[in-house]
Amino acid sequence: MAFLAPSTASASLPSALSGAASERLPKTRLEACRLGIHFGDRSALEAVDLVFSGGEAVSILGPNGAGKSTLLKALSGMLLPTHGEIRLDGQPVRGCDRRVVYVPQRSAVDWTFPISVLDVALMGITGHRSRLRPFSATERGTARDALAAVGMDHLARVQIGQLSGGQQQRVFLARALLQEGGIYLLDEPFTGVDVPTQGLLVELFDRLKRRGRIIVYATHDLALAATSSDRVVLLNRRLVADGTPAAVLTPDHLRRAFGGQAVVPFSGMTA
Amino acid sequence: MSGLAWLVEPFAHGFMVRATLAIFIVGIVCGVIGVFVTLRGLAFMGDALAHAIFPGVVIAFVLGGNYLVGALVAATLVSLGIGVIGQTGRLSNDTAIGVLFAGAFALGVAIISTQETFARDVTGFLFGSILGVGRDDLLLSAAIGLGVLLLMLLFRRELTTVAFDRTFAASVGMNLWAWDQLFLLLLSLSIVVSLQTVGNILVLAMLVTPAATARLLSDRLPVALGLAALIGALSGVAGLYLSYYAAFASGSSVVLVATAIFVLALLFSPKAGLVTTRVARWLHHGHPERDRFPDRSDEIADYASTPAASPRLDGGMETG
Repeated sequence: MAFLAPSTASASLPSALSGAASERLPKTRLEACRLGIHFGDRSALEAVDLVFSGGEAVSILGPNGAGKSTLLKALSGMLLPTHGEIRLDGQPVRGCDRRVVYVPQRSAVDWTFPISVLDVALMGITGHRSRLRPFSATERGTARDALAAVGMDHLARVQIGQLSGGQQQRVFLARALLQEGGIYLLDEPFTGVDVPTQGLLVELFDRLKRRGRIIVYATHDLALAATSSDRVVLLNRRLVADGTPAAVLTPDHLRRAFGGQAVVPFSGMTA
Repeated sequence: MSGLAWLVEPFAHGFMVRATLAIFIVGIVCGVIGVFVTLRGLAFMGDALAHAIFPGVVIAFVLGGNYLVGALVAATLVSLGIGVIGQTGRLSNDTAIGVLFAGAFALGVAIISTQETFARDVTGFLFGSILGVGRDDLLLSAAIGLGVLLLMLLFRRELTTVAFDRTFAASVGMNLWAWDQLFLLLLSLSIVVSLQTVGNILVLAMLVTPAATARLLSDRLPVALGLAALIGALSGVAGLYLSYYAAFASGSSVVLVATAIFVLALLFSPKAGLVTTRVARWLHHGHPERDRFPDRSDEIADYASTPAASPRLDGGMETG
């Protein structure tokens, strides 16, 4: 995968500063400081303190309505905090930043749009081109590499609406890879995808981690969180627990986050 | 009359030459921007802007100013107003558009009704007066039309991204409000260019019909843009011939031709036509068993050989 190798990536994406910067500074840092999000008078998140640093994959767990999506949107800058702030490499940020790549749970796009899989992926290559020039052979090659990395290269010319849900999700993942950000925020990437796609996601997260990227994803799958993330954040509008899977996924913590119901089947697994 | 003479005769008149060039520009510009209008579901917005421009034109006319400036000011105010009404969170965009466009249009009618030439002015605005296109009008139309096309070429990727995936556009730091305003400005300019030729009621057809036809004929955006421009220009010129020989009003002739081409594409588009797809399905009936039991052995083989799937299957067997 040429685009995942540091040298090729910086050669074909010269102005993807995020990519180059995180190569030199493996310790990219993303922080939420006393983060609070309110919708009208309803509070979705309260006083959340979190620090993410380069090279780790973190899963966000919590029941429906716990604020997992809200947290990811706030970290990405899509939602502005009501209280507190988001810091990127120590600097407060307000709004979206190119270094942060956000992949929503289900893209709300018009599936009848006359656009090919390759063109969707090419959207991930932003900035730095001349306005008049079409995409260069190198850029198209990089996009095809990204599609190959998610097993979608053979469908590059197909209209996006012709794909199955899982395939569409893979194409948006390829686009996210091409954005060459330092931080990847994914909302429920494992929901509604088949086993091969889950395996592919885990493998991709590993590669990104090795390049010093931060991966943060929301999930409902406790077993997957336990096996494929370095760290688990348990959330229920407030921070319930934060640490290694073994330290966080205890019956006591889960009961506090989920209430009684989710604990019984899972406590056997942790024991 | 020979075929050639039939084709050439209208151009003996200077006004027909100017009219043809004017409708050619309108066809191309509206066709291209119309593709984005239809993809974004903004047909009603286009109609609203066409009506909202009316008071701007009228006030400019009464004050003796440039009608173009008046039209753009009015269009900008209305598009901003729609955004402001949307902020209440209780009324849909459609509703906001409905309220403002009717209100603005009424204001225009009220002001122009104080003028002596009321009936003639309103008719010209509503239905266009293509045969009255002067040299200066034509040059101005060409300049604005070229400007709109150039801006769309320069910003094609951003316009496409915003039309296709707004969440993604916002997440890479694009200012959605600013890009929407740019698009509405380009749309307003396209409408202004079209007012004199097709009038404010039928401009909607120039925005929507060629673009819809192009979408039936292609799954690729660049191709659809080219086809829409071609169909728009073709409808314009063919419509003028129809108007010349059948003595129909010019604006309505143009729209009738565009609609006829749309109906043809709707029925006979190679991949999306109502007739063509049914015929293809009917021809397929020679092999009913193929339809009922599609051969999926390749897919199944693919699935089994996917590397990510194999470890799971092996692991399962070991523990079992």
